[in-house]
Amino acid sequence: MNPAADRAARLLRWYPAAWRARYGEEFTELLIADISEQPRSAARTRDVVRGAIVARLAEAGLAGPPVRATAAAPDAGGLQIRASLVSLGCAAAVFGGFGAALWSQLTIGWQWSASASTTATVATVVTSATMLAFLALAVVAALPVLCAIAVTIARQRRKRHVVPASVLIAATTVLFAGGRHFGNGWPGTGGHRGLVPAGLAAFEWATSLSVSAYWVHPRALAAFPGPELAWMAVSPLALACAVIAAATLVRRTELPPRLLAFEARLATAACAAMAVFLAGCSCWVATGGQRSVFHAGLIDVAGVAIMALALAVARQAARTARLRLGFAGH
Amino acid sequence: MPHEKTAVTGEQGDGGQPLAGFGRYAGPATLILSSLADGTKHGYALTKDIESFAGVRMSPGTLYEALAGLESQGMIAAVESDDRRRPYRLTAAGAAALRAHLDAQRRVADVGLRRLAGNWGTA
Repeated sequence: MNPAADRAARLLRWYPAAWRARYGEEFTELLIADISEQPRSAARTRDVVRGAIVARLAEAGLAGPPVRATAAAPDAGGLQIRASLVSLGCAAAVFGGFGAALWSQLTIGWQWSASASTTATVATVVTSATMLAFLALAVVAALPVLCAIAVTIARQRRKRHVVPASVLIAATTVLFAGGRHFGNGWPGTGGHRGLVPAGLAAFEWATSLSVSAYWVHPRALAAFPGPELAWMAVSPLALACAVIAAATLVRRTELPPRLLAFEARLATAACAAMAVFLAGCSCWVATGGQRSVFHAGLIDVAGVAIMALALAVARQAARTARLRLGFAGH
Repeated sequence: MPHEKTAVTGEQGDGGQPLAGFGRYAGPATLILSSLADGTKHGYALTKDIESFAGVRMSPGTLYEALAGLESQGMIAAVESDDRRRPYRLTAAGAAALRAHLDAQRRVADVGLRRLAGNWGTA
């Protein structure tokens, strides 16, 4: 391979596989011609890398103009909207994972004693209300999609649906069973003055046990009981498997336009709930809580930063989905 | 006076319907549609043609980002070819969009030139 072709091939690797399959050959030809005329160009490298990032964002449903359905690709528009909704779902899962960790810290603190700090009290009430709203929205959003997926599996019985559906069921079962098991073992279960039922607080605590500052204190971590340590490693893997399987299923299942429009409306509501939840957490973390069970540490600051990033991704996905729905006339 | 040569990247853009959906890539999209208005061209021929009539050199990443967007919107279409350099043609939807966009730009240009002539005289 000549040096220009070699460099063109390296630049092409920045693009996603689907883009390379469609445009790779002709784009490489253009790059080789451009490299032959201008052997060294930092501007060209920056331009190609930027274009590749945009192509990856477009594939993830976070950018790019809407696609017009054609005879060759009649579901192109729906696929693009589903990509946006999948990105939103992934961002919401990350937000929910870290949000559950922060929320359980507040609600479990309340199991022992009501907070003397106003910010921790406001944060606990706000996050509890919005977390419950967020969970309700998640259930309302997931049910019709799961029904559509179940119908597709029942009709087609294809491996491309059955395998991710099986992974989703297995991962959700592991998360639920593990959460219940380790939640029941939590010493505060059955506490005396909880804002939310103690069982729910303990379940949230158990499912988000892996979001812990103990990861940077290996000696303290080693003192944890073996099964708890194993659960701290297994639970994020199970959550990741569940999210990836759900995302794969939604991408592979053709959903009716009305359902896509409904999901996009729920996405906007979910972003609003996430923003209020984040405001509640930020209020608590910014003031540092107090030197008690309500103390906010560095792990909580990191959690708030990750949730802010997840919210930004979710908002962009919801905006892109709405734009694409508007273009498709739904 | 010869054109001053500049590089077109995704930084430039303009508003106006109906290419407004391309946001800041409406500029490259207009150049590509204008180039294809007189016949099919592949990527390299497009960059050379645009360089000759607009005095700008379009970078490969920007060119293909705009090409992919225009193709997905049905404004251009790939032409079957044995060549590795696939040519593109303007579609009827692309021609209508370009005409509307250039008409809107011409209205702005007419107003600007008239006001310049009224207040600053002719150069």
